[in-house]
Amino acid sequence: MSDELNSILTRPVDRKGFIAAGALGALMAAGGGRFLADAEAAELRAQLSRTLYYYNWADYVNPKTYGEFTKKTGVKVKKDFYASNEVLQAKLKAGARGYDLAVPTGYMVKILAAEKLLEPIDWSKLPTARRNLSPKFKSLPFDPRDKWSVPKDWGTTGFAYRKDLVKERPTSWKQFFDLMKTKYSKKVTLLDGSPEVIGSIAKMLGYSYSTGDRGELDKVREFLLDLKPHVHSIDSTTYKNKLVRGTAVMGMAWNGDGAFVASKKPAEYVIPSEGGELWVDSYVIPKGARNRDAAHAWINFAYTPRINALETSYTYYGSPLKRELLKKPLARAIYNNPDVFPPDRLLRKLEANNVSAAATRLRERIWTEFKAS
Amino acid sequence: MAVAAPEVAESRGPSSRARGGSGGPRYPGWLALPAVFWYLLFFLGPLGIMASYSFGEISGFSDVKFAWNLENYRYLFDGPLYTDVFKKTLVMATFGTLATLVIGFPFAYYLARHAKHKTLLLLLVIVPFWTSFLIRTYSFLIILDPEFPVSRALRPLGFPEKFELLYTQKAIYIGVVYNYLPLMVLPLYAALERMDWSLVDAAQDLGDSGLRAFRRITLPLVIPGVLAGSLLVFIPLTGEFLIPEILGGGKTLFAGNLIAQQFLEARDWPFGSAIAMVVVGSLTVALLIYARAVGRQEQYG
Amino acid sequence: MGRRLLGAHAVLVYAFLYAPIVVVVALAFNGGRQVLYWEGFSTRWFGEALRDDTITEPLRTSVIIGLGNAVIACLLGTMLALALARMRAWVRVPIDALAYMTLVTPEIVFGISALIFFVQAGLWVGVESPLGIWTILIAHVVFNASVVALIVRARFVGMGQALEEAAYDLGSGPLSTFRQVTLPRLAPAILAGGLLAFTFSFDDFITSFFVSGAGTTTLPLRIFSSLRFGISPAINATAAMILGLTLLAIVVAYVVLRRSDDGRQGTVIVHQV
Repeated sequence: MSDELNSILTRPVDRKGFIAAGALGALMAAGGGRFLADAEAAELRAQLSRTLYYYNWADYVNPKTYGEFTKKTGVKVKKDFYASNEVLQAKLKAGARGYDLAVPTGYMVKILAAEKLLEPIDWSKLPTARRNLSPKFKSLPFDPRDKWSVPKDWGTTGFAYRKDLVKERPTSWKQFFDLMKTKYSKKVTLLDGSPEVIGSIAKMLGYSYSTGDRGELDKVREFLLDLKPHVHSIDSTTYKNKLVRGTAVMGMAWNGDGAFVASKKPAEYVIPSEGGELWVDSYVIPKGARNRDAAHAWINFAYTPRINALETSYTYYGSPLKRELLKKPLARAIYNNPDVFPPDRLLRKLEANNVSAAATRLRERIWTEFKAS
Repeated sequence: MAVAAPEVAESRGPSSRARGGSGGPRYPGWLALPAVFWYLLFFLGPLGIMASYSFGEISGFSDVKFAWNLENYRYLFDGPLYTDVFKKTLVMATFGTLATLVIGFPFAYYLARHAKHKTLLLLLVIVPFWTSFLIRTYSFLIILDPEFPVSRALRPLGFPEKFELLYTQKAIYIGVVYNYLPLMVLPLYAALERMDWSLVDAAQDLGDSGLRAFRRITLPLVIPGVLAGSLLVFIPLTGEFLIPEILGGGKTLFAGNLIAQQFLEARDWPFGSAIAMVVVGSLTVALLIYARAVGRQEQYG
Repeated sequence: MGRRLLGAHAVLVYAFLYAPIVVVVALAFNGGRQVLYWEGFSTRWFGEALRDDTITEPLRTSVIIGLGNAVIACLLGTMLALALARMRAWVRVPIDALAYMTLVTPEIVFGISALIFFVQAGLWVGVESPLGIWTILIAHVVFNASVVALIVRARFVGMGQALEEAAYDLGSGPLSTFRQVTLPRLAPAILAGGLLAFTFSFDDFITSFFVSGAGTTTLPLRIFSSLRFGISPAINATAAMILGLTLLAIVVAYVVLRRSDDGRQGTVIVHQV
């Protein structure tokens, strides 16, 4: 039973309260989860304060969702945007407070939690989420007790290429990089992040994605420096436009962007045979949040299948809900799209980013060398 | 009419000597107080924090432990990796400043001397910069693209079909000149505008070539403006990192990128602070030396 | 001959300056979202931009901060320039160094350290969340006051003192000398400085990002964070509208001022010695 209902029923009974409690009781008895949900909603609306400060990636929420949320709860959403996990972390670390909700990627959740920049999640306020969350996304390695985060969506890091401009059909990192160094030199983009680039090369060489081993990283470094002259650009923000326009023919990519390109031009997104990265973006409540109730309300709201389908069809990233729940509300093309919902056998080869603090320093130095060369 | 030659300003009569020093009404020093106070509180405060970080070291993912050592500075100069980045940055900043000067000076000159509706034209220079920097720079991505409609249309006239301009050093320079031009033009214009052009005309009537008149009369007066403009371009240019990232394809690393990278991706605030301190320190010293060398002129101001 | 060459150069420079603008405006009218292909003329993006409060609110914030910061920066910077120009070296040099440092410091460093500073200062004063429009404005002024000071100083230094000395000798007090002799001649530099200050503030991104509070977004922040999909047409439409408005304002102001200027010419000459 939710906290709100609880509080109604334990309040000292005045006449109105008694009648209200009695009515609720009757409704509950009369049955129907729907009645219950409506009553919950009404009570929620009365108790929540007016505004939710949502700090997010831009274009990461279907604009319709904001309106639906406000309609249901009466809470207005004030949106602020950041463009990278790192910049979110820098701001929170330097002391910025006042955001109620943010959406970092898994590895950043771990860092933020370690730096005590998060408020714990109160799962008692998330009945819908608890019901609908797929067991595959419980106890993820970056938050094993689900204390700090609730998954929002997930995706993979691999590469994408234009089927009409690249006649070969690369299926591995090795092929990807070989083609990059030879036939398609200067027409291939890389993501602008040392975790992704170093991690992918590490996977190709047979190492762990998050390796911090000096010997292994040396090999990665050699390979990377060799690669530099063949790079078209190092870009995480606009590479999908480059692929659509054809100025680049291949690129290291996230699956949502890959699906986007494929929706505009003949293209293919590939999870390479050596493996890649599996990432999960999660809701967190930053420290100093003033409206934790509203934050929880949003998270819970986002776990209703209809709303979640709205989100998935906007971002093209995978949903952490139990898949069957999405069958009805989600368009068939998206539901069956293997880029949005890769099959398990592919997912097995993927690793999550788990770079240690010490390894970060080593890897960053390599990355600097690469960029400066 | 505006006063032209410094020779006039040097005349020291008994009245100026009576007021002491370099003569002329001296504006009270307390005028500087508001600005100084602002700097002390809102600039030195933050900078002091950074300076103290530079003596610390990173612990854990991004915490700062105050070890009070010079380790970060040692790491910075350990090997050529980072100093090369500094060198490249200085080269880029110098060339960028020169390019803006070469393009901006004749432009400002024309505006100050020959143009009608000067203020309007000057404002028209600034107006493009009220669109966002990002929008402008991203527009260049379109303009420099070989598939740009104008370029496509010019192909029958011999315009090359495939040229590589985007994501190269050249693109960075184009972006730099574009975004820093008003910084150069405005001070130049402000200095040129007060010139008494009749002096130049007179010199030419008396037989000086245009170039000679320029050198003897205009140039000395314009130097403060040139310096101001060059400083306004060079200095922020050393910290520039968005243009190299967007137009250069993220393939070159300048000091600005390096620092941003340390604070964000590497989360190594002490190291980032150390780099920043080196940049700030060395540039300030260079500026002071420079200002001193030029300072004699200012004494007559 | 030289004049014609210079004129041609000026035209080319204007073409260069406005090329991206033309692109932006063209895209604002492009019916589709594609960036290199024309998909028909349409004004729908303008409507969308106006209806989108995640665009109009940041725009308003940016303008307010820009104007406020221009005024303050001009005040502080001009006073600083005047005081510095005739100061003794041992006072002038440290202040000079300070001003230079504000220009030299990379924005990301200043942004983060200013954030830390504001948060700590806030705690000290008992304010839990000090970040907001004011902190952005304060941070912008730090840089812009130096810009104004630099420009005004350059002009002031080269101005020469003869006129001011003459006015002094004729018995004019310092305040009226300033008002009637110095200020009018400094005006173009102050205006130039103020324009730059507004522009920098309006366009500023890195510093603003760090010192902005929850719920305060400026236009550049809004634009940067949506870059994953490229510049959206609604953003281009917003830029086009800003351009249109400012051009209109400038032309109108110019026409109006010119008219009153013609009357004032006579008095200006009389005031000058």
